[in-house]
Amino acid sequence: MEPWWQQPVSRRQFILRVGWGLVYGSLLSWAMATLRYMFPNVLYEPSAVFKAGLPGEYEVGTVTTKWVREQRTWIIRNSQGIYALWARCTHLGCTPNWFDTERRFKCPCHGSNFNIDGDVIAGPAPKPLFRAAVSLAEDGQLQIDKAQLENRPGKREGGTFFLPYKSA
Amino acid sequence: MNSLKKTKLWKSMFRHDFQDTPRTRLQRVFGNVFLHLHPVKIPVDALKFTYTWGLGGISFVLFFVLIVTGVLLMFYYRPTTGLAFRDMKDLEYAVTLGTFLRNMHRWGAHAMVMTAILHMVRVFLTGAYKPPREFNWVIGVILLTLTFLMSYTGYLLPWDQLALWAVTVGANMAANTPVLGNEGPFSIVTPLNDVKFVMLGGTSVGEAALLRFYVMHCIAIPFIAALFMAVHFWRVRKDVFSRQTGEKVDVWPHLVSRELLATILTLLVLSIWSLAMNAPLEEMANPTVTPNPSKAPWYFVGLQELLVYFDPWIAGVLMPTIIVIGLMAIPYVDVNPKGVGRYAFTERKFAWSIFLFGTALWFALIFIGTYCRGPNWEWYNPGQTWSIRRISKLTLMNIPNFWGLILLGAYFLQGMVISPQWKQRCAVRLGEGPTRLACQGLDFGLGALMGAALMIPLIWTPEFFRTLGQSRNAPLMQSLFALRSHLGAAGELAMVGIVTVTALCFGLGAVGFGRFKDRLWGRLGLVKYAVVIGLLLLMASVPAKILLRLLFGVKYIVSFPTVSFNI
Repeated sequence: MEPWWQQPVSRRQFILRVGWGLVYGSLLSWAMATLRYMFPNVLYEPSAVFKAGLPGEYEVGTVTTKWVREQRTWIIRNSQGIYALWARCTHLGCTPNWFDTERRFKCPCHGSNFNIDGDVIAGPAPKPLFRAAVSLAEDGQLQIDKAQLENRPGKREGGTFFLPYKSA
Repeated sequence: MNSLKKTKLWKSMFRHDFQDTPRTRLQRVFGNVFLHLHPVKIPVDALKFTYTWGLGGISFVLFFVLIVTGVLLMFYYRPTTGLAFRDMKDLEYAVTLGTFLRNMHRWGAHAMVMTAILHMVRVFLTGAYKPPREFNWVIGVILLTLTFLMSYTGYLLPWDQLALWAVTVGANMAANTPVLGNEGPFSIVTPLNDVKFVMLGGTSVGEAALLRFYVMHCIAIPFIAALFMAVHFWRVRKDVFSRQTGEKVDVWPHLVSRELLATILTLLVLSIWSLAMNAPLEEMANPTVTPNPSKAPWYFVGLQELLVYFDPWIAGVLMPTIIVIGLMAIPYVDVNPKGVGRYAFTERKFAWSIFLFGTALWFALIFIGTYCRGPNWEWYNPGQTWSIRRISKLTLMNIPNFWGLILLGAYFLQGMVISPQWKQRCAVRLGEGPTRLACQGLDFGLGALMGAALMIPLIWTPEFFRTLGQSRNAPLMQSLFALRSHLGAAGELAMVGIVTVTALCFGLGAVGFGRFKDRLWGRLGLVKYAVVIGLLLLMASVPAKILLRLLFGVKYIVSFPTVSFNI
């Protein structure tokens, strides 16, 4: 027996194979096109950028939770400046709560704990919390951009993810 | 009446008379499109309630109730984020019978999940999946999976807090799929083109997701499930019912009347349940604030608890997939022909033990999730008062990768078997006794290595030992730490002793396990053995990891954060 690619093919067999090839080919391309159809091209989701008031309104050493309900963001000021943590657990996306007595964020869904830098101290979360980009808008207000996120130590403490601020 | 029966119209609809004769009894079954899924005769023992418990039939009745109540609910429900929750409130307060129908739909769904699970357990215990019914078992597993999917998609529709967060968690599990999820290990996609995106029609649970889940819940999945049900029932008949003892009796009236009775009782119980208890409805969904604690419905709370111990790609993707495939594989790896058509533990000790262990494990996880978890998903004993402000200082640490890899490797190598051919080849050269000794030595070594690789990093990684020894959530580490500090200089010696004893115990355990492996290998052959031992080791890894977490405060055994690969 010859291997299949060396066996002679009659005209009838050839046409039959091409025909079946076309049938399966069109079914497959229809399936692929339908799969693509399921991916929307336009999203109607809220803007990721918001203004969070003047930097002087934030106290040193505190985690400000007033933006969580509207913007899902904590704003934290330390002695050097200001950064914003996106309040989305890196485990499975619930919103953790800040517990000031323990200085921890704790997630209600699977019990992950994070410290004030966003690093995981306990629970199943695999990665630190993400920080959002912080800048000063022209009117002097803080501008937070949740579309730009960073959680790698070394990169998250600088650049657009940290706003140095000392006065007041 | 009799003149009516003589009309052409009547005769065109009913082909047979209604006298109770053997002939009519048969005609009633094969002359009716719905009843013809039955055989015309069935062995009398198959009718015994204590054999089937009516579970498959009750599941189907519940499915039917869910379709009827579901269609009725659709008349008042609009799947948009602005309206869905208001329509739920309308159903509860402004629509006549609205609450009752919603209750019936919700409780019926809970009951169907339960009866489908119990039906699977029953079919397993009576060996009803054995040849020639292997494939129908596979279809049954598909139906069980579809039942879970119907529950999951329906859960979002009320658009309350419970709904939103359960689905958010589920969607983020999809985002952790290896390769195709944007947060999974070895990901090649972004949040804008991964499996979570296509599931939700966006990056988070919102308008698009609600509509998608609505369509899946009301049309797509029930349609697919109905197709598989048709095949399932038809095959029960074609493959012949699993219990074939006793004289044959007519299905009409003996089986049909029992089915009718089961239907009536199911409806009765469900109605009383729906009158007595209201389906929960929390506040309207808020995509920024999660209720604390946030718990999935009972049948998913086991999975939620599993997610505490393993990374999402393992607990949320790999394990469910393996559980489903593993269940499907059962009839193909179970070579024991005994115990079909009855509950015969003594003839199928191994199969029963493994299966019941797995089922019990699943329900144990559900128990922990339901009764032992409070605010911040922290451990509370059942009955203990919850406090949002409790200071817990939960602390977990990773085993260093070097030891973790040895531990993991030694664990999964427990599945290896030295084949009889190899043993023979060795025996020719070395003799019987030394060969057996060598094999046992190998088993013992591997077990001891596992024990050592577990204990050494726990005790002699200074930071690990100090931190967890002083924590409040790792009782065994606390005891070890206290013991060493208490004994002073002798403490180190005690630690060495403990490690040695652990290694010895694991080694001896592995020798015993080796004997079991040889027997299993002899019965199953290479492929089936590999499947069975793989599933067995994976299943045992669940309680193992739970104990590592709860007793030792271990988070990961190995961790490679750069590629999101953690175990």
